[in-house]
Amino acid sequence: MAGKKEEARDNGRGVVISNHWPGYDLDLFTYPQHYYEDLNYVLIPHGVIVDRIERLAKDIMNDIGYSDIMVLCVLKGGYKFCADLVEHLKNISRNSDTFISMKVDFIRLKSYQNDQSMGDMQIIGGDDLSQLAGKNVLIVEDVVGTGRTMKSLLDKIEKYKPNMIKVASLLVKRTPRNNSFRPDYTGFEIPDLFVVGYALDYNEYFRDLNHICVISEQGKAKYRV
Amino acid sequence: MANRSPSIRIGDDAPGYDLDCFSIPKNYAQDLEKVFIPHGLIMDRIERLARDVLQDMGGQHIVALCVLKGAYKFFSDLLNAMETLNRNSDQASPIMVDFIRVSSYCNDQSTGSVRVLGGADLSSLAGKNVLIVEDIVDTGRTMQALLPLVEQHGPRMVRVASLLVKRTPRSLGYTPDFSGFEIPDRYVVGYAFDYNDYFRDLSHVCTLRETARDKYALAVQKL
Repeated sequence: MAGKKEEARDNGRGVVISNHWPGYDLDLFTYPQHYYEDLNYVLIPHGVIVDRIERLAKDIMNDIGYSDIMVLCVLKGGYKFCADLVEHLKNISRNSDTFISMKVDFIRLKSYQNDQSMGDMQIIGGDDLSQLAGKNVLIVEDVVGTGRTMKSLLDKIEKYKPNMIKVASLLVKRTPRNNSFRPDYTGFEIPDLFVVGYALDYNEYFRDLNHICVISEQGKAKYRV
Repeated sequence: MANRSPSIRIGDDAPGYDLDCFSIPKNYAQDLEKVFIPHGLIMDRIERLARDVLQDMGGQHIVALCVLKGAYKFFSDLLNAMETLNRNSDQASPIMVDFIRVSSYCNDQSTGSVRVLGGADLSSLAGKNVLIVEDIVDTGRTMQALLPLVEQHGPRMVRVASLLVKRTPRSLGYTPDFSGFEIPDRYVVGYAFDYNDYFRDLSHVCTLRETARDKYALAVQKL
């Protein structure tokens, strides 16, 4: 079943960022001027994200790199993580003796408004999902919060009878509401903050920021719907 | 319509590069003919396209619309390049993204009809500078179908960036505003150009041998 691991490398929690982590001052990095004052600090710099993804790709290949992989990218927040992850998976495949066929498909889930999780969810888009039958599916998501979205998605995907489903999430939030869903692959475990950047948005803004940052109150007010 | 930026023109007689001069996944070695456009050259060209796009469209909110699934890789690299420029400039505007699905190829024939499938909230395009990002313009049929749909929602301006443009007699005459490379009418794979979902993991754009087409062919679907 998706969500379990036979072998805990790093306890399966990924890079753990503690609640006391102060992050980095924005002035130590470059970021788009149009977000000046909309952000508090940098939580995870872009380069660290990419380095961590390189390792996740290696872990994934070690686990499921013996057979064809069907990558399901959850748009829109998952798009950069998916692009960088797939790039690294391809690099490993290219430089190894075994060829792994990887297909990527894109689905969209509707569940967020402003910064509150709404609870109800639908899958939009994607090719005919019945093609997942018998395949090894890798779901690529940007962030797991309560875990409700992922559980709901897994239930729906399982109905198409894939051979196996693995979930890779770049971020997992430590939240008291977490119903203990753990992805198979986690980039970073972070405090329960509303984060933006690296394709994660606040009402469609901040996707064009390359570091993962914490939004400021000013930013929330400015871009509120 | 803006002045079209120049493109790198690859001639009909272009010999391409020998496969042995580059790193190619072993299993594709017998299927490919030549390396046509090396990956690094694609990246260098994208860097310049990003600058051209921002010079033309910057200063207002840009919505970059990715035409799935083919343009995903080019979209990702182009957006990265645009964001890098934005980070390092004094004036920049937010870039938003959206994704739209269009299908028209099966095997190597443009099946003649274009389907635009749902997902994007196109009403959010009103008043914005819209950049449609496409991987290849061949007959031009996809753009012909897509542009009116986008225009309907009242964008401030619409531009199209395509990595490749084919010189082909089947062209309906459409040329994108920004184009990476203008190529002869050969079937290419690699850098996200697939042949029935194969070759997406090849980083260089290459030409395909005739024999490979049968190997990876699907029966042509009746629509």
